[in-house]
Amino acid sequence: MIKYIIKRLLQLIPLLFVISFIVFFLIHLAPYDAIDAIVTPNMSVETVELMKQRYGLDQPFLVQYVKWLSELLKGNMGYSLLNQQSISAELATRIPNTMKLIIPAYLTALVLSMIFGLLAAANKGKWLDKLIDGICSIGIATPTFWFAMILIYFLGYKLNLFPIIGMNTIGQTPTVGDFLKHFFMPYLVLTVAFFPDLTRYIRNSAISQLNEDYVIVQQAFGSTKREIFMKHISRNVLIPVVTQIGQALPMLVTGAIISESIFGWPGVGPYMMSATKALDYPVIMAIMLLSATLVILGNLLSDVLYRLVDPRIRQAGGTN
Amino acid sequence: MKKKFLGSSVVATIGLLVLTACGTNDDQTISNNETTKDTFTYAISGDPTSLNPINVSDRWGLTATNMIYSPLVRVEEDGSLKYELADSMETTDGGKSVTVHLKENVKWSDGEAFTADDVVFTYENKVLKENGNADALWIGDEPVKTEKVDEHTVKFNFPKVSAAAANNIATETYIMPEHLYEGQEEIDFSGAELADGNEVGTGPYVLSEYKRGEYLQFKANPNYYGGEVGVKNVTLRIITNADTTKVALQKGEVDASMVLPSDIEDLKNNNLNTFSYSENRVGYMGLNLNSDKLSDQKVRQAIFFALNKEDMNKAAYLSEEFYNTPNTILPPNNPFATTNVETYAQNVEKSKQLLSEAGVTDLTINLAYGSDNPEQTLQATLIQQQLQAVGINVELAGGDAAAIFTELRNPGSTKYDMFLGGYIMGNDPDLYASLYKSGAGANYFNYASEKADALFEQGAVELDENKRKEIYAELQATINEDAIVYPIVDNKKILAASKNIQGIEEARLVPIYSFEDLSKISLK
Repeated sequence: MIKYIIKRLLQLIPLLFVISFIVFFLIHLAPYDAIDAIVTPNMSVETVELMKQRYGLDQPFLVQYVKWLSELLKGNMGYSLLNQQSISAELATRIPNTMKLIIPAYLTALVLSMIFGLLAAANKGKWLDKLIDGICSIGIATPTFWFAMILIYFLGYKLNLFPIIGMNTIGQTPTVGDFLKHFFMPYLVLTVAFFPDLTRYIRNSAISQLNEDYVIVQQAFGSTKREIFMKHISRNVLIPVVTQIGQALPMLVTGAIISESIFGWPGVGPYMMSATKALDYPVIMAIMLLSATLVILGNLLSDVLYRLVDPRIRQAGGTN
Repeated sequence: MKKKFLGSSVVATIGLLVLTACGTNDDQTISNNETTKDTFTYAISGDPTSLNPINVSDRWGLTATNMIYSPLVRVEEDGSLKYELADSMETTDGGKSVTVHLKENVKWSDGEAFTADDVVFTYENKVLKENGNADALWIGDEPVKTEKVDEHTVKFNFPKVSAAAANNIATETYIMPEHLYEGQEEIDFSGAELADGNEVGTGPYVLSEYKRGEYLQFKANPNYYGGEVGVKNVTLRIITNADTTKVALQKGEVDASMVLPSDIEDLKNNNLNTFSYSENRVGYMGLNLNSDKLSDQKVRQAIFFALNKEDMNKAAYLSEEFYNTPNTILPPNNPFATTNVETYAQNVEKSKQLLSEAGVTDLTINLAYGSDNPEQTLQATLIQQQLQAVGINVELAGGDAAAIFTELRNPGSTKYDMFLGGYIMGNDPDLYASLYKSGAGANYFNYASEKADALFEQGAVELDENKRKEIYAELQATINEDAIVYPIVDNKKILAASKNIQGIEEARLVPIYSFEDLSKISLK
């Protein structure tokens, strides 16, 4: 098992090289660079050139890439071209903020979808199934930004229940109550964004379990449908759910870009958005590498968890 | 194991939901306290790009810098001077220098006295090209030299006579405290931020906390030379989403923000006042003279005669309250702007006649515009329609504004025939040389006219105000005659502010950094 994990981790390295090269190349294809994005008519050509030289933007693509890469290998994610702030410091404060939103929302969505998914599967074809399916369809079809604006308008403005921007009230010592008040609307938006897909996924896995032999055996033993769902199907459905959790890992960094921007939540989202607009490539590269790493690690995590929860695979894997 | 995982996540979630519910209740009191606080909250749309007074040039960076630091003198929109750190100034040595007498008894926010050393220190660092904002301090290939005459007098020596320098040198440069850097060998002012803790200024406010992506908090500077500061605390709140900003304004989470003309209808019922003011911007359609199709002056004039800027402006800015109409390269409020020029009032017949004189039929040209800019998109489609009427086909080339102007700066580029853009250059007409002088950095038009170049050079050294006006009037007429730029609009900025905020007129709304002196506002 450990050997397997190490092997997978080693495969990660060349993959990250390839990904970083492709992204760097794509950024370089853009018809302007970070300095062009902030040039105003009153800057002389000379000044613009000087700024480009300072950040090495006048160098050929490969030189820039190798420079960036060698800094990265020294453990230095670099500095923003626009404001020269350390990217790792910035991410170190922003990623926890994003996680504070994503983790509760994802877990809530997961629990809700377990409940709704199993209910729908147990009542396949009946009105309850159709109702849940309808809710999911609406959920999938609703754009996040729109739903967020609706919440802001009604809960934030009309009913004046929640503040609409930021994570804490400025100028006060942060309290849990104040945080939760700011937290509620983006949390709700994300939960609603996450749960429909998961529900459908769980419904489908539960339905496929219904045809399995063990269900027929249980039925033959005279178990009630309730017992079968609570004791057996729900456990087996967990296996594909575990793979979903692994795949959700990259969301910890980039899972809430739109919601964060709308609610002014100081997470990775607004940072990524403004960097992309200005082609601030060190920032884009850092976030991209982080999220690519998480995709790969997430897949690895899925595989490992899969082995842990399913003894059959664990044993098969153990003999390797 | 499986069960445990499921169980614990259920507990965690339910716990969170319960906590959320509790939070909702006890927070009502918090927001009630908020209204009694002595804080003015102003929404800005992003982080400042730079907070370094030496090289700051972005809107929000200047907004913050202008609260912390002060210049020697400001130039108002009508060209008059407003003295800040300076007490008076005069042109000396027949236009080869400017002598500035500083206010005495001005103190930095840390209590140190402000002296001529601070001014010399600031200008000596700003003139360094590597600090990225030296352009205004160089005349030809030589720098302006700053000299301390006595504790409260500074003299700027120009390499040659310059009316433009006399008008511009003392303005728009934020003076930095020299005493904080005493004894330091090499000081690097090329970055976007100063070293930590060096936020000592002479402006009405002091930066007390900056949380990137969230807010900048300021508190009143007790030593401000401009008198008592009206509101003790100011918060610049960063909200990137324009719709959220609007609701935050309606709800009162922020006290003021810039808004668009189209928002005003919605904001009327919300206890908000709106103020519109000109930024002295010129939004224009430019022609790229590198394009063979546009090399004939008659064709260019034909294009201009076919257009109708009133229609474009009414469509984009709704009411005349929200825009002025420029006729030349200078914005209408500029003291040097003239109306005594060919203004190209729409004349379809004349346009057709010019085209046939030029022997041009079946002309197809493209027009570049920022596709994420709703006003430009509207202008572009109207231009397409209006030119269609005289038989010119326009292909719309929407794209990213930064990419379009990077392409236009490429020497010899012919990718775009026409393009939409805008500039806010300031008051002195010499500043516009960077757009229209041959070979200048922002000459996207590839305009090269000996006559215009000569007029720019004459204007820069002419000290007599009236003669200068004549020179620039002729310059504007020349450029209009050559038909390279079609000025469309000087669109106003609109500030919406809560009715509790008073003194906005006294604080003066000005281009770029919005409030000239934020200390003048007060909360009711």
